[in-house]
Amino acid sequence: MKQMLKISSKLVVMMLIATIAIGGATSCKSKKKLAKEAAAAEYAAKVEQAKKDLNAIINEETSWTIDEQAERVATIKAYNIDDPEVKDLIVKADQKIEELRARKAEEERLKREEEARRKAAQSEFVVLDNSFNAIANAVNYDAANRKIDETLQQFASPDALVLIIISRDGGVNDYDRPTTISRFLDYLKDKKQYKYKVETLKRDSLGKITELELITK
Amino acid sequence: MNKTAFLLIFAIGLGFATPIFAQDNLSPERKQAIDSLAMEKVRDLSKYISIIGSKDTPWSEANRVIDRAEELFMTGSEIGVSSLVREEINYYGVRDYFERLMRLNYNKVEISWYNIEYVSDLQRQPDGTYVGVITIFQKFKGYDKEGRLIYQDTTKKDITVYVKRKETQIGGRLIGFWDVLLGDIRVKETSK
Repeated sequence: MKQMLKISSKLVVMMLIATIAIGGATSCKSKKKLAKEAAAAEYAAKVEQAKKDLNAIINEETSWTIDEQAERVATIKAYNIDDPEVKDLIVKADQKIEELRARKAEEERLKREEEARRKAAQSEFVVLDNSFNAIANAVNYDAANRKIDETLQQFASPDALVLIIISRDGGVNDYDRPTTISRFLDYLKDKKQYKYKVETLKRDSLGKITELELITK
Repeated sequence: MNKTAFLLIFAIGLGFATPIFAQDNLSPERKQAIDSLAMEKVRDLSKYISIIGSKDTPWSEANRVIDRAEELFMTGSEIGVSSLVREEINYYGVRDYFERLMRLNYNKVEISWYNIEYVSDLQRQPDGTYVGVITIFQKFKGYDKEGRLIYQDTTKKDITVYVKRKETQIGGRLIGFWDVLLGDIRVKETSK
């Protein structure tokens, strides 16, 4: 009897150990599963975000600079995502970034050209403004008339159109009565005052001025 | 000056210039620009009168300036002339006035305008024309051949100004502009 009790108590202890051992193993397996699931979810989110960002770059829907976009694509590449859609989007995003870089370079080139043209035109305008000032400040009629003849050489005709902007409001130009360059130069001689500046001009194929737009200072 | 070419431009342009009526709501900036433009035309006239009256002005230049001065006025406008030696004020047609001014019987003439200002601001009329009155003071001095001042007076004059928005076609383009024309110049008072 005593022997029986001893055996059964050993049996109980063994069962208890087995239960604990089996229970512990099951709990560990569950934690690994959870971690795996979390990692999968994280990866899926990363893939999803990558697709979203790549699509935004391709469709030019991002406010990032071109460098920031390139950086983002590089980061996505570094993920080594094994997804055909992502791989395809990366190729397209790279092409888009190249396109944006080329476009920006072209815009900057045009801007530089426009700036150069504007500067050239301004210096050209200054020459005309100086001629007009010289007529207005001539010491007598003969001097003024000589200067007028010189200045008229720059124009296609003494009747070249002269428009004077008296005000500019909301993109609308208000003009004085249109006149001709000949009359305008006589006006400067009479008024002895030049209070305008050249705004725009047009030339013919020979480089002569056919139309002049002045603005009241 | 090539008159034919000029006439061509302005026959195409100003000759067919048409008034525009939809300018009711001018911004203060635009209205200010128009006020200044009308005032400038009066200053132009002041300069022209001084040039025409001056005995130093070559005859050809004076005649050219008479043409320019005449273009500042509406057709049929009159200019008043007063004198300290007579009561009445005589009114002359614009061209007649300038030609008389050029022939004044002095050896030297000085004419200057000052205190040029609006007495009645430009007001829009039902037909779209803006009408105002600008007052000026004219100082006249006449000298004999010895250089002695033999006559001088100061006259206050009122000038009616008309400003109208017009459009003209030049080189296939429609250009809108403000046309300023001067009306009668009335003598208000004359003093020494």
